Amino acid sequence: MPLAYELPEWVRPVAVYMLREGLPETLKLAAVAVTVSALIGILLGTFLTIHFRPLQALLRFYIEVWRGLPIIVTILFIYWLPALHVLGQTIQLDAYTAAAVGLSLWGSAQVAEATRGAVQSIPKEQHEAAAALGFGWLGRHAFVIVPQALRRLLPPFVGLLVNIIQNTTIAFVIGVNEFLQAGQRQVENLTTQTGNPHAFEIFAGVLVVFFIISFPLTMLARYLERRLV
Amino acid sequence: MRRLVAITGLVALVAAIVTALSMAAPAGKTGSQATLPPKPRLPALPGEVRSRGKFLIGVKCDFPPFGWQDTSGRNRGYDVDTARQFAAWAFGSRSKVDFTCTTTASRIPTLQSKRVDFIISTLTWTAQRELTIDYSLPYYGAAGKLLVKNSVIVGRLNTWMRGKTITTTPGSIYDRWIKNCFKDTTLLVVSSPSSGVLAVKDGRADALMFDDAFLVGVAANAPDLRLTNHKFLDVPWGVGIRKNEPEMKRWVDTAIRGMKARDLFWKIMQRTIPRRFYTTFKQNVPRPKNTLKYPRGTVPESACPS
Amino acid sequence: MDILASFEWSFIWENREELWEGFKNTMKASAIGIGGAFVIGLVLGAIRAHRIPVASQLAATYVEIIRNTPILVQIFFIFYFLPRVGVSLEPFTVAWVAVMIWGGAFNTENFRAGFEAVPQRLREAGLALGFSPFKTFLNVTLPVGGRIALPSSINTYISVLKNTSLMLVVGYAELTAVAYSIQANTFRTFEMFAVLAVAYLAIVWMLSALIRLLEARLRLPEAL
Repeated sequence: MPLAYELPEWVRPVAVYMLREGLPETLKLAAVAVTVSALIGILLGTFLTIHFRPLQALLRFYIEVWRGLPIIVTILFIYWLPALHVLGQTIQLDAYTAAAVGLSLWGSAQVAEATRGAVQSIPKEQHEAAAALGFGWLGRHAFVIVPQALRRLLPPFVGLLVNIIQNTTIAFVIGVNEFLQAGQRQVENLTTQTGNPHAFEIFAGVLVVFFIISFPLTMLARYLERRLV
Repeated sequence: MRRLVAITGLVALVAAIVTALSMAAPAGKTGSQATLPPKPRLPALPGEVRSRGKFLIGVKCDFPPFGWQDTSGRNRGYDVDTARQFAAWAFGSRSKVDFTCTTTASRIPTLQSKRVDFIISTLTWTAQRELTIDYSLPYYGAAGKLLVKNSVIVGRLNTWMRGKTITTTPGSIYDRWIKNCFKDTTLLVVSSPSSGVLAVKDGRADALMFDDAFLVGVAANAPDLRLTNHKFLDVPWGVGIRKNEPEMKRWVDTAIRGMKARDLFWKIMQRTIPRRFYTTFKQNVPRPKNTLKYPRGTVPESACPS
Repeated sequence: MDILASFEWSFIWENREELWEGFKNTMKASAIGIGGAFVIGLVLGAIRAHRIPVASQLAATYVEIIRNTPILVQIFFIFYFLPRVGVSLEPFTVAWVAVMIWGGAFNTENFRAGFEAVPQRLREAGLALGFSPFKTFLNVTLPVGGRIALPSSINTYISVLKNTSLMLVVGYAELTAVAYSIQANTFRTFEMFAVLAVAYLAIVWMLSALIRLLEARLRLPEAL
């Protein structure tokens, strides 16, 4: 009896295709979306602590709209947008960029909300001390308040990363060749080439890979949360 | 120095053999093809495409054997090879083309938003679609078929369909045909043809109604499934081109006419499908003596069989 | 700004019946999904909070699997899995089953946290009054813990509703799928986005407002 279980012949090439073509696309998309979300979200969240009604209303609107809409609706909308003409240039987002923008709008709204809470949780004395040292609003926030808030933001960031990795699959709908799409394409190929789609096995595989990526990150988020409390 | 001589000699020898073979080949052929120049006289491409030096073409990546990706990520299939032939004639190289993967739902938006020059993505002609985009001359003639379990006997389509559950993909011509003509048939809409195959295997549907080109491969490989003899809704596919781009349309039409005259579509089809299906597909491609036509002025999916 | 100038309300009006059907389908799948997620969350949350052996570990596994995998993949998986165990499979079934399983996992965590936040001495008091452990749960842990869990569980219901929009991929004609197919045929991007935005934001914002209201109204006395 052979020790190793022989994998069926179709498995290897399909797995290689999915891991080489699909998975990097998923991870790249997640990395771009998380970075953009963090940069924009921290900025907007800090601005949200300024007591200026019109600005607050504007930022609130941004946050509530992009958090409120299903991500698939946002991504579809951006993808559907006709070409924009800006300064004589025609801007047309491809599917990958449309997905990255859609995820970033949602992600930045999440980060902004979390940042507001984190910035407001920094004691007033810190503001006063920084002000006494001669920092203006900008310097105070950039060098004293936000760096302290970042510590508190770490667990939600890791949580956001997990969320965004999982939500990259929505790009499937507009044809981005992320991991799920890569699996679907091979299902179709196997259907015509072998008469058996092997869909159950392939999507189970997709599920397992996402779990292997997400679960350690979830544990990390929980660990960070415990340590900070 | 001696090596240089050897290499030159080798090259000369190969060149001689190739020349001899290529001179011998046309001599063996008869009929109109032999007299055709290797390349048709093509009109000028739109300036933007010409200066770019390559095509941007939308194809399917999940629709074997027309547009799909093999396990090494290369675009393959009948539609893709047609695109490569266009590139060869326009820019002298089969690789002067960038492919954009489109899905059934995203292909027309992809075209309309100018992400691509045109789409070769299994686009069935419909009168309604022709209101929003232009079609080239037909480049493939699809027909609908029924995939059933081996044990199922289908008599007259009209009688058999009554009370049955038929599966197909949403928005397809079959979807509309069943809704229009078979009121007593339950329609099970599935997201992809492969899930339709599963539905038939699992017994959730009595038959999958879909394009013959997809189903022939399935039926040949799945021992428990077969195709019935019915053939319906043979509506050709065309290259989708934006409205008001007459230069582009003229170029694509001329290229398709040229490929048809040189029987290149059949050559591509022979590369696309296994030999045992050749006879089934001979009628589906435009050939020097096989001209496909769109059923303009009729609505195929509203024409119910009696 | 020709885009905004070409916005046609009449186009939405012309398609109102189809869109209304879509909206109703969204609400149907959401309602069943939310109901199911409530029951699953309540039962498994209680099992988790009371650390009932085996059942608690199984529930934890279910929660981790669902929370650490994309719901879209879960939908595909269910789509291909259910027929294997002989369950008939309409798109509608896939729709509510998928969001129910997803929502149930998140709700399990909501209720577990709620029940665990109930002070031990309240439960001891219940037992001291002669209530059986089950009765204690019904009369003490459930009302107090449920109240604590309510805001976060409503958040989960909001997500359940939003997630029905993914049923586009299994061909269930909910609101997003309907708008999608209309857009694909007519390219009326802004009209269709306006419909989706108004419909989803109206419901989501209303439920969010409800959460804030409940948080204020149901706040437990500090002395607890």
